[in-house]
Amino acid sequence: MTANQLTLNQSGKILEISSSPLKINLMELGFLPGKQLTLQHRAPLGGPLAFQLEETLLALRKNEAELIRIEVLY
Amino acid sequence: MASKDQSKRKGTPQIAIIGNPNVGKSTIFNYLTGLNQKIGNYPGVTVDKKTGILQIQGESFEILDLPGTYSLFPNSEDEIITHRILNNPELEKRPDYVLMVIDSTQLSRGLFLSTQLIDLGVNLTILLNMADLAAGKNIEIHSYELFKQLGVPILQTDARNQKGLEPIKKLIHQRNFARAPQFLDILKVVPPLILDLVKEKFELENHYQAYQMIRFGAKDKSILEKKRIWLAQVLEENKFNLEEVQLEETKIRYKKITDLVTKALTKKSSPKAKSSLDKVVLHPFIGYLVFIGVLLLIFQTLFSWASYPMDWIDGFFADVSGRVLTTFPDGPLTRLLAEGVVPGIGGVVIFIPQIALLFGFLAILEDTGYMSRVVFLLDRWMRPFGLHGKSIVPLVSGVACAIPGVMAARNISNWKEKMITILVTPLMSCSARLPVYIILIGLSVPEEQVFGFINLQALALLSMYLLGVLGVLGTAFLLKVILRTDEKSFLMTELPSYRIPRWKDVGFTMVEKSKTFVFEAGKVILAISIVLWGLASYGPPATMEEIRQQGMIQQEQATSPDQLALIDAETNSLLLENSFIGIMGRAIEPVIQPLGYDWKIGIALITSFAAREVFISTIATIYSIGGDLEDDLTIREKLATQLNAYTGEKTFTPATSYSLLVFYVFAMQCMSTLAVVKRETKGWKWPMIQTVYMSALAYLMAFITFQIFS
Repeated sequence: MTANQLTLNQSGKILEISSSPLKINLMELGFLPGKQLTLQHRAPLGGPLAFQLEETLLALRKNEAELIRIEVLY
Repeated sequence: MASKDQSKRKGTPQIAIIGNPNVGKSTIFNYLTGLNQKIGNYPGVTVDKKTGILQIQGESFEILDLPGTYSLFPNSEDEIITHRILNNPELEKRPDYVLMVIDSTQLSRGLFLSTQLIDLGVNLTILLNMADLAAGKNIEIHSYELFKQLGVPILQTDARNQKGLEPIKKLIHQRNFARAPQFLDILKVVPPLILDLVKEKFELENHYQAYQMIRFGAKDKSILEKKRIWLAQVLEENKFNLEEVQLEETKIRYKKITDLVTKALTKKSSPKAKSSLDKVVLHPFIGYLVFIGVLLLIFQTLFSWASYPMDWIDGFFADVSGRVLTTFPDGPLTRLLAEGVVPGIGGVVIFIPQIALLFGFLAILEDTGYMSRVVFLLDRWMRPFGLHGKSIVPLVSGVACAIPGVMAARNISNWKEKMITILVTPLMSCSARLPVYIILIGLSVPEEQVFGFINLQALALLSMYLLGVLGVLGTAFLLKVILRTDEKSFLMTELPSYRIPRWKDVGFTMVEKSKTFVFEAGKVILAISIVLWGLASYGPPATMEEIRQQGMIQQEQATSPDQLALIDAETNSLLLENSFIGIMGRAIEPVIQPLGYDWKIGIALITSFAAREVFISTIATIYSIGGDLEDDLTIREKLATQLNAYTGEKTFTPATSYSLLVFYVFAMQCMSTLAVVKRETKGWKWPMIQTVYMSALAYLMAFITFQIFS
């Protein structure tokens, strides 16, 4: 599944970032395979998502979160 | 190579400050340079170049503040600048030293850029900033271990609390920077053959520089075309997959950094609890209420605070004008000074309170971390119109004044979204439209209640604002379809921890933005206002002289002060009607007749191109309404009785008034905005396009309105 499919407060481990021109931007921000993220907030009507990634809270649009393939941890 | 190094040593040593966004770079820059800052331009881009001078024991250093970036791979215009300055061998002067600022709580991310700099071979020192935050999160960084592993000097600072800043000056003075050994062996990622070839062709110092050249050189227009073509050919011959290589580099680099960080950092378990403030601020419903509350608070303060200094400025320049007239002998030069130049400068200075206050508030919102939350909340609502979450700031500012709004659009990194934002922001009804709205609504809308409690005039005023918002959305949508870009729109932003604003930096922002406006847009505004003044004060000499003579003769026959004032007002009215602007007003009459205007209104349309509120003073002059302009009622009563020169009917029929109202909702009619758009887009192309489209839209809408109501 992908990061946008997490429910609120659910955590996942990043498996891979799908190919896209934005892949490099995501990796620069720290979305790297092996890291753990938690979905913290969701803006209404399919708006951006906020993920806790280690020490930072990062906002992504839905189609950007779709690039992050994850497995659910808890 | 030796000669290159020598040329660098000439003159003041230059130190660039670089780092990820939001790591406290500007605080360090402000600390080092104080108010000794200069804002300039980089050729060909809209990014500002911020430099300052640092003096230590009689020695000068030039400090360059580079835009925030996550890596040397340029994605936005900001990052292209950073890339170009550090990387382009054809630039005359590259920085001698680099200060890399890292957020201590984001060590890996900061090291990503740092190790790229190391590999480029720059003379580097790393500042581990935000030590206080790291301590709060139970993060301990062993800087000696980092130093051992990386080989560059490392300094821990807490810029926000002004701790550990003194040593920065000392280390600059001692030039305590180092070229460290390569961190990542790029030869493992890219075939050595190509690297050697490029390195030699561009006379580069190492393989990593060659790699960066391969990756981006073909697109960098600051490199000679001949060399770019050569580069593209080499890459094609070798079937080189640029993106693949970059991903590979990113992966390997991050892996090495992770290993390093495990050694250099200890973290005692830190609970990642959701911030309780965010539960409210980012709440899908309450979050929006909070946002509206914050907006109301800002505008309340803005309007009540800005009006005082604006009144002082107004009074001060009127006073200076008066003194010039009474001090110097009457003549063309004195008039130019008193009626053209002084009010022209006043017209620039008058905007400072609004600009300074608005940017003060924006800096506070930015610094507390609230601004990126707003972007998070509003991005979804902006996107259907080709705008970005960040567009909300310019648009909302536009309600006060389009100028700070347009200036705030530079935070939007995507070119298309930035252009759309700049182009539509002046459609928001700004405070300068308010006096025009009030006069015209007072003239045409009866003061009645509908449904027993809604004031009809208030409703009309509200409609004007809503009409402006509709104009913004509609135009933005059209522009979204029209404008083309290859850039991909994205929102990847950090929602930083909530902090107390750094008041000193807020102050710096206010000064910097006001200075930028006065010195960059001010010239254009002053020039246009002098031209407009000239056109309104001069006309065919014979006619103008005759009007003055007539006036003087009548004045001599006047019997009471009241009569004298009346004659004076009538003479002024005649002078304006026969001036060059008057002639222009008559010339455009056939064009504006379908909107319900006669040539007298035409004159006001032309003069109010300087600023919308000028409409009122011009109308007052034309219809010879002397006396106190502040008194809306006098103007309104006078206007209500005016008759159209040709039809003999009332000039300001409801249809004409509505048409004028709608015209002012959409028309550009503000040379200051024009000047700022020119400044922000670095050319006349976009402000021209904007003026044309807004005028056309205003014309069309006013035409429709007039036809409906007449």
